Amino acid sequence: MSDILLQLNNVTKSFADGNGTQTVLDDISLAVKAGEFVAIVGPSGSGKSTLLSIAGLLLSPDSGDVIIGGNTMLNSKSNIRTAFRRKHIGFIFQTHQLLPYLKTKDQLLLFQDKEYNDSVTANDLLEDLGILECANKYPANMSGGERQRVAIARAFINDPDIILADEPTASLDATRGRYVVELIRNQTKKRGKAALMVTHDERVLDLTDRVLHLTDGKLRSM
Amino acid sequence: MKFALRELLYGKKKYILIELLLVLLMFMVLFLCGLVEGLGRAVTSAIDNRVADYYILSDSAEKLITVSELPDGIINEVREKTNSEVTTLDIQRMYLQKQGEERKLNVIYFAIDANSFLAPSVIEGKTLEYSDKDNPIVLDDDFMAEDIHVGDIIIDSASGFEFNVVGFAKDEMYGHVSVGFITRDSYTQIRTRLNPQYGTTIHALAFKGKPDDLDMDGKELVKKQDIIDNIPSYRAEHLTITMIIYVLVIVSAIVIGVFYYIMTIQKRRQFGVMKAVGFGMGKLSAIVVSEVSLLSVFAAVVANIFTFAMSAVIPQKMPFHLLPADAVSVSAGFVLISIVSSLISIIHISRVDPIQAIGGNDE
Ligand SMILES: Nc1ncnc2c1ncn2[C@@H]1O[C@H](COP(=O)(O)OP(=O)(O)O)[C@@H](O)[C@H]1O
Ligand SMILES: [Mg+2]
Repeated sequence: MSDILLQLNNVTKSFADGNGTQTVLDDISLAVKAGEFVAIVGPSGSGKSTLLSIAGLLLSPDSGDVIIGGNTMLNSKSNIRTAFRRKHIGFIFQTHQLLPYLKTKDQLLLFQDKEYNDSVTANDLLEDLGILECANKYPANMSGGERQRVAIARAFINDPDIILADEPTASLDATRGRYVVELIRNQTKKRGKAALMVTHDERVLDLTDRVLHLTDGKLRSM
Repeated sequence: MKFALRELLYGKKKYILIELLLVLLMFMVLFLCGLVEGLGRAVTSAIDNRVADYYILSDSAEKLITVSELPDGIINEVREKTNSEVTTLDIQRMYLQKQGEERKLNVIYFAIDANSFLAPSVIEGKTLEYSDKDNPIVLDDDFMAEDIHVGDIIIDSASGFEFNVVGFAKDEMYGHVSVGFITRDSYTQIRTRLNPQYGTTIHALAFKGKPDDLDMDGKELVKKQDIIDNIPSYRAEHLTITMIIYVLVIVSAIVIGVFYYIMTIQKRRQFGVMKAVGFGMGKLSAIVVSEVSLLSVFAAVVANIFTFAMSAVIPQKMPFHLLPADAVSVSAGFVLISIVSSLISIIHISRVDPIQAIGGNDE
């Protein structure tokens, strides 16, 4: 049995623009194994977010396959894909995107799908991420770094197959940003996820296992 | 429900204003309900309170007791043919004055058989049947506010006939006029004094239960509710205020729907993120419906408490009578329409594309 949790096969995506179409992703293939932490870098507008959206089943490619934990979901209905995302994909966004009206523990408990998985507990995650003391705080009462750590906890709470992070350090200073990426790395390793992170931040690339460059619609290893 | 409660509590400052507005609107609705029922009661209570189920009127009367005319002997004829309890009823508008006073008071006589099922129970004094006075009269309790008491003598203005006030009954009105219950005997005497040629006719027969095959030639059998609906002015008043009530209920529910819709538009991005991380439309709709239900139920409950508290201290003469059943149905209608109006928010959310969660360039 293969331990590849995220696989993109020959993915192509174009957008219509003013004069014709622009091919943002041109026949891209990618595989990420359990416990592997992969970074994607590239100039602004090169298609990094588009790639992440396709991997996260938020956007359908023009052609190609997306396989997550052995499942191909591209042909499923949107509500089935939505339910699939909750269980199999953990998202970390540029800004925390927590619900302002929930305390930290509720951000996790109300999102956790207990029927599907109860092996990961909110408490363990909060402890791992060093934010146990934030359990009863609202996002408004936490620092930017703490909020992003809660967002990481949320991404892991349903024990997903893959973690997708879109510039998770964009709203943080260098030290906090690096710490957050370290935490993503540690959890990815500890819990055996396949993690894909888009970033501008050259200084955190040493924490990843592999760095891929996206330019002109092609992915190149460095 | 957990999401809904937490979100509403977290944003309570935001929601308290809209709740205030909704409470006021619902209060207005409930107040009107009490008024429509109260005014309605001022028109119909004396018929409403009677335990009669059916009436026989002359068929030219068009279901209006006061213009019906039946021959005197009919009661005996009918008694022979039916097993139902039957009695006579005459309704006559007149004026009364207290002995020694000039002031004339409106009254509607209900002339009845003192020991029949039409006789009212009293909240003070004695009933017609158990009073030992001659020419007894039991008055609607509104006459108490006119400084009339049990034991007083009051005079029928037109005939000079003297009544002994023996008791008061609660809420007995007909066509906005307070009722005085008198015996058939007093009634015949008054009519004879006013018109020596008065040949005894009666207005109506009242039945407990439905009478079986009677010869209805020249007569009409009328249900109690039809009698009520045909009392002059009842229909028109009732319909007008009832329509205003429904319009207000719908307006209140739309206020909640529009307010919630504006909040939803402001939370577009939040819904996009929720969809991205895996909350389906089922869950999101449930959150919306729970929040709107909580907002509307809360407003309805507070408005009900206010209205019922107020109805307890309202002056006796004010025609206000809020039936719990009416309050419940209006409140339930408000909550239901509110929930329906939240549909526009749900439709809006269903169109939010979760992809906007990624990229975040528009922050
Ligand atoms: N929905 C869309 N419609 C048209 N063009 C799009 C759309 N989404 C992205 N693009 C274009 O695709 C390119 C890549 O966008 P994106 O993936 O956001 O880049 P990056 O995240 O690397 O900055 C950009 O030129 C952008 O204008
Ligand atoms: Mg981007």
